[in-house]
Amino acid sequence: MGGAVDYIQFVFMPQVFNGLTIGVAVILMALGLTIIFGLLDVINMAHGEFYALGAYLGITLASHGVGFWLLLIAVPLVLLPLGYGSDRLLIQRVFHQKDRHMLTLLLTFGLAIIMEDMFKLAYGPNTIRPETPISGGTELFGNFFPSYRLFLMVFGTVTIAAVWLVVHRTRYGSMVRAAAFDKHMASSLGVPVGKVYSATFAFGVALAGLSGVLLAPIYSVFPTMGKDFILMAFAVVIVGGLGNIKGVVFAGLLLTQVQAISSLYISPVWADPLVFAIMVLVLMVRPQGILGGKLGHA
Amino acid sequence: MDTLNPPLSILQAVRRRDHIAHNAWQVFAFLFIGLALAFTLVAAPSGDTFYFRLATEALIYSGLAMSVDLLLGFTGLLSLGQALFFGLGAYTSALVLKHVGPSFWTAMAVTLLVSTAVGIVGGFIAIRARGVYFALITFGMAQVVSKIVYNTRELGASDGIMGIPVIQANFLLFKVDTAQAPAFFLTVLAMTMGLYFCIAYLLRTPFGRTLGAVRNNECRVPFLGYNPQLYKMLAYVLAADMAAFSGALYPMLRGFVSPELMYFAVSGDAVITVVIGGLGTLIGAIYGSVILTGLKSAIGTYTGHYQIVIGVLFMLSVIAFPKGLMGYLSPLVEKWLAGRRENP
Amino acid sequence: MTGGELPVLEVRDLTVSFGALTAVCGMCFSAERGKITSIIGPNGAGKSTLFNLVSGGIRPSAGTVLFEGADVTGWAPYKLIRAGISRSFQITNLFFELPVYENLRLAAQALESSTKSLLPVRCSARARERVDELIEQFDLGEKVHELAGYLSHGEQRRLEIAVVLACRPRLLLLDEPTQGMSHSDTQEIGKVIRKLSGDLSILLIEHDIDLVMDLSDHVVVMHQGAKLAEGTPPEVKGNPLVQSAYLGLSVHAGN
Repeated sequence: MGGAVDYIQFVFMPQVFNGLTIGVAVILMALGLTIIFGLLDVINMAHGEFYALGAYLGITLASHGVGFWLLLIAVPLVLLPLGYGSDRLLIQRVFHQKDRHMLTLLLTFGLAIIMEDMFKLAYGPNTIRPETPISGGTELFGNFFPSYRLFLMVFGTVTIAAVWLVVHRTRYGSMVRAAAFDKHMASSLGVPVGKVYSATFAFGVALAGLSGVLLAPIYSVFPTMGKDFILMAFAVVIVGGLGNIKGVVFAGLLLTQVQAISSLYISPVWADPLVFAIMVLVLMVRPQGILGGKLGHA
Repeated sequence: MDTLNPPLSILQAVRRRDHIAHNAWQVFAFLFIGLALAFTLVAAPSGDTFYFRLATEALIYSGLAMSVDLLLGFTGLLSLGQALFFGLGAYTSALVLKHVGPSFWTAMAVTLLVSTAVGIVGGFIAIRARGVYFALITFGMAQVVSKIVYNTRELGASDGIMGIPVIQANFLLFKVDTAQAPAFFLTVLAMTMGLYFCIAYLLRTPFGRTLGAVRNNECRVPFLGYNPQLYKMLAYVLAADMAAFSGALYPMLRGFVSPELMYFAVSGDAVITVVIGGLGTLIGAIYGSVILTGLKSAIGTYTGHYQIVIGVLFMLSVIAFPKGLMGYLSPLVEKWLAGRRENP
Repeated sequence: MTGGELPVLEVRDLTVSFGALTAVCGMCFSAERGKITSIIGPNGAGKSTLFNLVSGGIRPSAGTVLFEGADVTGWAPYKLIRAGISRSFQITNLFFELPVYENLRLAAQALESSTKSLLPVRCSARARERVDELIEQFDLGEKVHELAGYLSHGEQRRLEIAVVLACRPRLLLLDEPTQGMSHSDTQEIGKVIRKLSGDLSILLIEHDIDLVMDLSDHVVVMHQGAKLAEGTPPEVKGNPLVQSAYLGLSVHAGN
């Protein structure tokens, strides 16, 4: 009996907790991906590289003495104009063509290749391990949790709530939703659709960068980190329903728990295939995702 | 034009135009064979193996790129996981050569059987999805399989399978030793061009034209009397076989296989190849593969960061030259052919 | 063959619901061989849904569709085409990026046996002859090289009908063939349709009431997913139910 309680407390619970912290960061990244898809219908293949860019920018800024707290604001702020520019220069260029789904996917894929190689060029191919900004641990319910992970969970949850508020409660958010619902209608009502598109791309990319800063101390930083992580984000976005914010939160928590718990019981090497198997299954059975419904309609 | 009997002359014109377009592709195909033979003649006496092996690799990857073009350029399905079948072919061939026997034909036959079976299963999963969903599902499948291979000790895990024996491919009249770079290059050239002519032929049959209809307006196809799902399935399995066929040649060239062959980088390169070479031209996949392999090797001698150059080239191609190399060259050749016909 | 007395199409108690909405409810009618049968009714009466049910786009919740006496209920569209039912679309639905010739050739290809599907297209002699006929019949000779997307609206509507006819159907379903056409083009299409009937049985949905009354041998009036009335054009015109539900509005608008 005592063994079972110990098992739950010292093996099972920490794993669930780790899953939660990663889940929160994945949700942040996937939110950007899903908002970009929900509004622009663009599958951003470079999203993982923007996540990596966030992490690398964090390292550079930190080496110039910028403190961690400031990074949480500075990195997204730097990424905003980069995202805005990427949309103006690349995506809007092919946006009005008939097969824009394919073209934007290909363009962002090209961007991803270039960015990944730029990281190698600028930072070298090796793994960089940033110092944990909050060291030590905190005791909760008789368990010892790393303080940084606790912070990540709280901060991430607040940010997710803030994103929800931005999309559903602000003027910008209502313009985004109007444009996602019917861009011609929104345009005739005076919504600057082009700018809203670019701003949304920038916003999504900044969220990816923020999750890069947050996860860097846990996962380390290396050039292909985006590619390793984007799979999880895609899985979350698809399972939750492309373009659906609530779906991302739900699927993000679900899939990271599947990953964490299956690592415990099956084997860590089977955790990723399991997550992608769920994604493929959802695509087959319910391509609109578990919660369905896009940005403008949800 | 004969005004008394317009339908006849119009139809002749249609057929002639069709014929000229077809001939333009043939010109590029034979030009390629000519260039490859010229390369062999020039390079073989020097005893070089590096460039022959590189050129052979370009040809092998062009088979993969052709399979991507069959799906994207002719059927309208963007596969981001075609390396799955390329890797499948490479592993199957490697296992057969190492454990069953060093027979070229056995390896090819087993590979095609396996890839057809896996292609049917994969197609069953993938073709229900449309557009970007198809892209993501193929991406996901390839990732899952490559991770499984990466973690399977029986398949050599992250190291892959090494020590694949050199074989002698028996072509009845003569034998080709895979260790002899020029001879193996010519063998792969013959197989790749054979594959090209087979697929180019198929695309000129009602079957191939129906794929074009699926690409153009899938919803209308059932109302012409065809089941689009069936045609997508056939295209998917055929593309799987093409990719696996090329993949099966890989271990004969390099003597090893590794999970990297299934990675997204390989699938992505195939898409880049097709876009640069010319989407929906088929021959563009072959030229594109040579260009990409050549560029990587050339830039690679100066810097390891060739992906930046290739990425820029690719994006430029998507934005400014969406028809790709062959898409811009073929009208010129068509014009030349049409002119030659009128003034013999 | 039982001959002329068997209707080419018979629809019995056909019903379909989408969630709580019943779009077509207990629909019964039949279409005679070689005749033009029209379905009319105000917007939202369920005409297009009925069409989709007959042409295989939607599966019915209940009821049967008999084609030449054989049960074809719920068949996939591509099977119905092979059986001899072909349909056009209200919104032009062509292969816009393919030339006119290829649009027709693809449609005529269904005439060839499937053994030819792996021979070069030039071996499909029957398909080729059929395309030649259609090009002449629909006066598309000048445009064979043009991409279908570059044709004028009237030409596209003509091509649409030509494509539908390419597989030599025995029953033709025409969904508002004059949609968005000028008066003179409408007259032209009317003539084409009249010429087609005889060998061919036609089921027509059309908004242009004058054209319907002019062309049809038999008219079925739908209202709120069910049959309101049917009969010859004069009978339907004289039916007070129809006048109140539908024609009254149109007569006002027409005059």
